[in-house]
Amino acid sequence: MTQHASDETLALLTRLSQKPGVQSTLILSRETGAIVRTSGLVSSSSDANPNSTLPPSADNTVDGYTNGRKESGIHSAEDVARMVWSFLTAAGSLVEELDSEDEVKLLRLRTKKNELVIVPDPKFILVVVHDTPPA
Amino acid sequence: MDQTAQQRRAEILAKKAKLEELRRQRELRRESAANRQSGIHSPTPLAQPTPRREDTKRELENLIEKIVGDSRPGSTVPGSPAGGARASRPTSVISAGQLSGNSGENESPPTPKPTTTYVDTAIQTLSITPLTTVYEFPAEPKNEEVIMYSKGVQTSDTWSPSRKRGSTGSDSERDESPTRTPVASKRLSRRQLQRDEEIRSMLRKEIEEEIKAASQTNLEGGAVGGSNKENFPARTLTNEELNAVQSSDEFLNFVERSTKVLERALDQQYDILADYALGGAEVDEEDEGYGSGQGKKGRRIKEVAQFWDERWSKKRMISDVGFSTKFPELVLASYTKNPSAPHDPDGLVQVWNLHMHDRPEYIFHAQSDILTAKFSPFHPNLIIGGAYSGQVLLWDTRAKSAPVQKTPLTGSGHTHPVYSLDIVGTQNANNIISCSTDGVVCGWTVDMLSQPQEFLELSSPPPAKTEDMAPTCIAFPQSDPTYFLAGTEEGSIYPCHRYDRAGAKAGVDKRVKYTGHAAPVMSLDFHPAKGQIDLGDLVISSSVDWSVKLWKVRPPAATGTSTAAADASSQLVTPLLDIAREDLVYDARWSPVKPSVFALVDGAGSLEIWDINVDVEVPVQKISPSNEKRGAFGGGMGGLDYMKSSLNKVAWEKNEGRKVVVGGMDGVVTVFEFAIRLIGMCTLY
Repeated sequence: MTQHASDETLALLTRLSQKPGVQSTLILSRETGAIVRTSGLVSSSSDANPNSTLPPSADNTVDGYTNGRKESGIHSAEDVARMVWSFLTAAGSLVEELDSEDEVKLLRLRTKKNELVIVPDPKFILVVVHDTPPA
Repeated sequence: MDQTAQQRRAEILAKKAKLEELRRQRELRRESAANRQSGIHSPTPLAQPTPRREDTKRELENLIEKIVGDSRPGSTVPGSPAGGARASRPTSVISAGQLSGNSGENESPPTPKPTTTYVDTAIQTLSITPLTTVYEFPAEPKNEEVIMYSKGVQTSDTWSPSRKRGSTGSDSERDESPTRTPVASKRLSRRQLQRDEEIRSMLRKEIEEEIKAASQTNLEGGAVGGSNKENFPARTLTNEELNAVQSSDEFLNFVERSTKVLERALDQQYDILADYALGGAEVDEEDEGYGSGQGKKGRRIKEVAQFWDERWSKKRMISDVGFSTKFPELVLASYTKNPSAPHDPDGLVQVWNLHMHDRPEYIFHAQSDILTAKFSPFHPNLIIGGAYSGQVLLWDTRAKSAPVQKTPLTGSGHTHPVYSLDIVGTQNANNIISCSTDGVVCGWTVDMLSQPQEFLELSSPPPAKTEDMAPTCIAFPQSDPTYFLAGTEEGSIYPCHRYDRAGAKAGVDKRVKYTGHAAPVMSLDFHPAKGQIDLGDLVISSSVDWSVKLWKVRPPAATGTSTAAADASSQLVTPLLDIAREDLVYDARWSPVKPSVFALVDGAGSLEIWDINVDVEVPVQKISPSNEKRGAFGGGMGGLDYMKSSLNKVAWEKNEGRKVVVGGMDGVVTVFEFAIRLIGMCTLY
């Protein structure tokens, strides 16, 4: 049953990563910043990285979602993870200082090229990088 | 100036004397040390205490002075060969002290003596070790501290206003006197020395703390220090850890929640960063599109969203749709079973969000096909449904997908399919009324579905060939929850009472019968009694005899008096208006805001908007759901392709009345939005 359930939630993630415009997804542990799952990222430039972190990304490539736009400013999963993590920490401390009982619920970082949507949770962080609608 | 110079000289002399004394003591100590080393223990304890006391005192002084003395040379150490104007004096002193030990002091008159003296005393304290280390030892800490102090002094110069006067003064003096050694500067430097001393001690403390903290964090590992690149991913997780994490409930819940949030975020169409100045051309285009649509159709109607889920909607038919009253963006759809997936639950209710296009907000299951479902109007979290098995089910959006409550399958409730149910009453006292095709009507409390509160069996009044009655739908007037209409499979519509009243027993009111439909009645809808004129007695009914009829229903009290005379035969009431359509009409619903408007859906798959004030022959608007999502359906019905487009149900959004949701055979939920002009505003009442 749990296996079944986890399959289904992973399917959710896969679906999310395959939504049009989504470049990459990333799940981090909130405490340590360890990468739990990625897709659409060049994964690791560094060494030991268990393959089990990346099935969605594999699916992605199979599905041909790695079209052209990838090559641009995409970094390795570790880089993105680190940057997002420190960004989130900074945002967290900002909110903490504004109101100590408050907490960050959602971060949408719009850039010229794309948008990062970060959903922090007590235990995990979900990050999606996607194209902004052409405006 | 001269006086001060003399004073200075006197001081120097005194210091020299002291130095001599010190030197003598050192000699003594050296001797004692030598004695000790040679194995004579008795003299050492006697000899040592005395110099120790002095030493400690002096040590303190010297330490301080060392700091002071060092700092200035420090700043200029690198620059001293180039003749660093600022602090050439102290550097030379130090270098002299360092290089030439004892002899250097005499040659440099302005030397702050303390520096030299303490060099010696420092040696004394450590005199246990061989003397050779003397020169190296003081040099090392000096070099270290040099850097830190020079920094400290410089910053204090620049920012601290209280010290500005002194420091600038000394600066200027130093600037003008690179060669001579002014006595005034001595005085100044005296004061400064003290101040600097304090600063330095503070600085030193701070730096020490910093270093300590830094070393600690380093020890604890890089996991905490996210900014540190090498330390960042503390480690990549092993496969077991990943599995453990990914199968944990926390993770699953997190994914569930966060992906919903993200999909809503991604589906948000409106770009709040839109620059209308830049995108002028596009805006024009869109405007034109609107305009031309209006020109063609005359009225605006727009498809807002279509909902379809590959996993769950496949090969299921939509049996009911509805809007949430509390959250107008939530749309409910109930489904029949998927005949090709026997392992999936038969019954399904999906709650869709207008802001999340690709995925239902909630999924609810049941063991039997759901034939009807709706949001509880009194509780935003509750959804009630009727099943083919005769069960009435209650789901809670806060709970999991299984129903939180359901009625038993025993004889106390329904044993036939429940095609129609409603929640009647008020916020604090409401009941679920359900009706099954064997004519049983049950009343339930929301808190307890184990047993019906009311049980009523409807039977056809005498003129009918059989007593059995097969109600397909029931409808309650807004004003009176004790009275309802039941549409039957044979086409008649009967008024029914829930309770005994004067002149009529509970059950079908035998005195009145609304005849007109020649085929099963598919829907009944009382006019929403809003506004000044009560139109609550107007009912529209739809039937598979290709017609929609408008009825004026007599209030139960009136029927009571009128039947006093002619009671034997039931009174036949004919419709006020008969609207013939070109296909089976499956559902017809009044607009919640504009009194004369209703919507209907038919077997041809069109949604029609009627305004009986405008026209009773043709609909004011007719539209079909687009085929965008229907490709996914893939013709699984085999031979029933013509039915695929058929629409089963229609429902209005109750608050604004601008949206309509339809659903049908193909399992696609479609939401339309109307222009205000077509649908009207509440203010029209």
